[in-house]
Amino acid sequence: MRMNKLRADVQALLYLLPFLVIYILFTIWPMIKGVNMTFYKWTLIRKMKYVGWDNYSRMIHDNEMWSAIWHSVIFVVLTTPTMVILAIALAMIANRKSRLQRLYRSVFFLPSVLSVAVASFLGLFVFQPYTGLVNSVLHLVRLLPENSEIFWLNETNLSWIAIALITLWWTVGFNFILYLSAMQDIPDEIYEAARLDGANDRQIFFRITFPYLNPITKTITMLQIIASFKVFMQIYIITGGGPLDKTRPIIQLIYQTGFKKNDLGYAATMSYMLFAILLVLSIFQYWLNNRKGANA
Amino acid sequence: MNKRLSLAATSLLSISLLLSACGGNNAGNANNGTASNESANNSGSSNAGTNAADNADAGNASAGSDEKVSLNFWTLFDGGDGANMQTLVDEFNKSHPNIQVKNTKLVWGEYYTKLITAVGNGNGPDVGISHTSRLPDLIDQGVVTEVDDVAEVAGVDWSSYNQNLLNATIVDGKHYAAPIDTHPFIMFYNKKLLKDAGLLGEDGKPVMEQSADGFMKFLDTLKAKLPAKVTPFALSNSNDDPYRLWWALYSQQGGNDIVSDDLKSAAVDKEKGAKAAGYIQKLYTGGYIKKNDPDFYKNFQSGTAAIMMTGVWATGTWEATKGLEFGAMPIPKIFDQEATWGDSHTIILPVTKSEDPAKRKAAMIFADWVASNGQIWAKAGHIPSKPSVLENADYKAMPYRSDYASVASTVKFSKPSTKNWQIRDNASFKILNEVWANKLDPAAAMDKLQDGVQKVLNE
Repeated sequence: MRMNKLRADVQALLYLLPFLVIYILFTIWPMIKGVNMTFYKWTLIRKMKYVGWDNYSRMIHDNEMWSAIWHSVIFVVLTTPTMVILAIALAMIANRKSRLQRLYRSVFFLPSVLSVAVASFLGLFVFQPYTGLVNSVLHLVRLLPENSEIFWLNETNLSWIAIALITLWWTVGFNFILYLSAMQDIPDEIYEAARLDGANDRQIFFRITFPYLNPITKTITMLQIIASFKVFMQIYIITGGGPLDKTRPIIQLIYQTGFKKNDLGYAATMSYMLFAILLVLSIFQYWLNNRKGANA
Repeated sequence: MNKRLSLAATSLLSISLLLSACGGNNAGNANNGTASNESANNSGSSNAGTNAADNADAGNASAGSDEKVSLNFWTLFDGGDGANMQTLVDEFNKSHPNIQVKNTKLVWGEYYTKLITAVGNGNGPDVGISHTSRLPDLIDQGVVTEVDDVAEVAGVDWSSYNQNLLNATIVDGKHYAAPIDTHPFIMFYNKKLLKDAGLLGEDGKPVMEQSADGFMKFLDTLKAKLPAKVTPFALSNSNDDPYRLWWALYSQQGGNDIVSDDLKSAAVDKEKGAKAAGYIQKLYTGGYIKKNDPDFYKNFQSGTAAIMMTGVWATGTWEATKGLEFGAMPIPKIFDQEATWGDSHTIILPVTKSEDPAKRKAAMIFADWVASNGQIWAKAGHIPSKPSVLENADYKAMPYRSDYASVASTVKFSKPSTKNWQIRDNASFKILNEVWANKLDPAAAMDKLQDGVQKVLNE
């Protein structure tokens, strides 16, 4: 019996081996090697110098790093709650019995199939001055005087709005699908009973739908926070981190430090800072989900 | 109602199909790219084969004095530049049966990273390209070799080069590269619009007094006389081009780079820097330059901007634009002396494992030959690095180029700091961008620039 179990384990390991080798070689080993790199001044061609904890003390005093982290936090704060609300709203619309149900589902999900570059360039065209869609429409309805322009991508606050809107439009589809399937799992009898008892729409939403969606909301929130923290491409394409680096997220700073400034050691150090932040968030999520009665 | 919606749905779906088709195409293109590369390689080797055959024939006659050398050449050119370089390589291979150069085109954005890592691994090319401003960094990283000895063997006459361009490639008294061009920052103007504003002379050149007030008055007239839709001066609102203009005006006052001669500390001449920055700031705030113009190239190209300043590489683009009547000239002398921003493409001999003398000699012969045949290279707009080429009939036959060829001697290069590009990207661009956006006063900007450059140098 015991031998059998052992054999099964060995067999399983054998099947896993091809994956494990690659996983260890390209994921685990670089992670370990990365720690080593943080103690060196390390350029692209491995001109290395041991610098001890220098990279770490430099990081603590590096205003650029802290502001880049702050920008990532701003992005998380801007996109997470709005994402949840928007996804629920869209799911509610698509879950209603209507002849357009299919249309809604495909339309809401469609942007998600775009690649980040396509979505970002569309955003760029929509928000650019003089010829962009947003400004043109504002001119058309005369909300914006003819001779003035809104420079969406040149003012810090407006850039954040533009980036957040593009990101929401592009990524909401996935969360929308998650909510939609969760909503379809809610038994119809409960709604029927509520209606019989005379509950109105608001009561039904806040007393039935929303509580039932609670577990998936938690998951989506956490996934969204982590994904938003790792934001890079759309900001890089749309504003390039500007104006004046005021929308530059931490990943962009790491990328620039490593591959533009040729300073891989310091870039690795900052990567571990980001890793630490994400680790804390993940532990928090784990704790949240495994609390007693978390899923009640 | 429903019909319309379903129509909308169908069109949306077809758009999404189109988009995904685009994605598919891209992947297809990538594949095609590698495929064509491979075929290019194949044809290259088959070429080499026929050449070798030719060679064998010729060898009988010349008793095979030299062994055949093949060189791996890495370039960062695409578009017109890429085609012109390929022409040069092909011509060279034809006229030098004993040396065969294989041109590998890399993407410009990744070129230096790839070059540095490849040389570091011992897989670098025999010949490569570097910008003059990048040379010091490549030398410091141990990527480039000095070429004095091999230049002598190859019979390179350094005095045949424009000395201003050549001197910028000499570091610590040693030659590290053969410059093949300079691509300075110059001014272009739309002849039709200037004529409408009454500012085009009989000779087809702008009527403008070359001074700070004169240029401002010129722009004033353009703004007043031309329709409101026309931009007097098409210029980017951030990064490269306005920085180059600042560098030009700073140098016109005698400003000598923003790092000290020993390259260890920041040395911003604040008075001159602030004067230059203040002048350019006025161009933005005075409404001569279109605010946050998303596409300043297109603005000039479509004939809706009267003047424009950018690198000479735009010449080829404007030439290919139908219906654009334009002229080219050096940046006006706004302050005391003529000067502009510029950089050069140079041919370098990267560090290789074998350091084969025959290959190095062949590479140097190739580099000097490319510089001597600058009339082909000048098609894209660059100014050839050898004054003799300026007298070449083919060069003279090309319009526009001669109007700005003199600039080669007034280009103010940056000092050979290993941090040139970092200073530019992480200090100059950022701080000056704030000035252009009218968020920072020019004098305060110079204090910030001094600190910013020092910070980059300390890192």
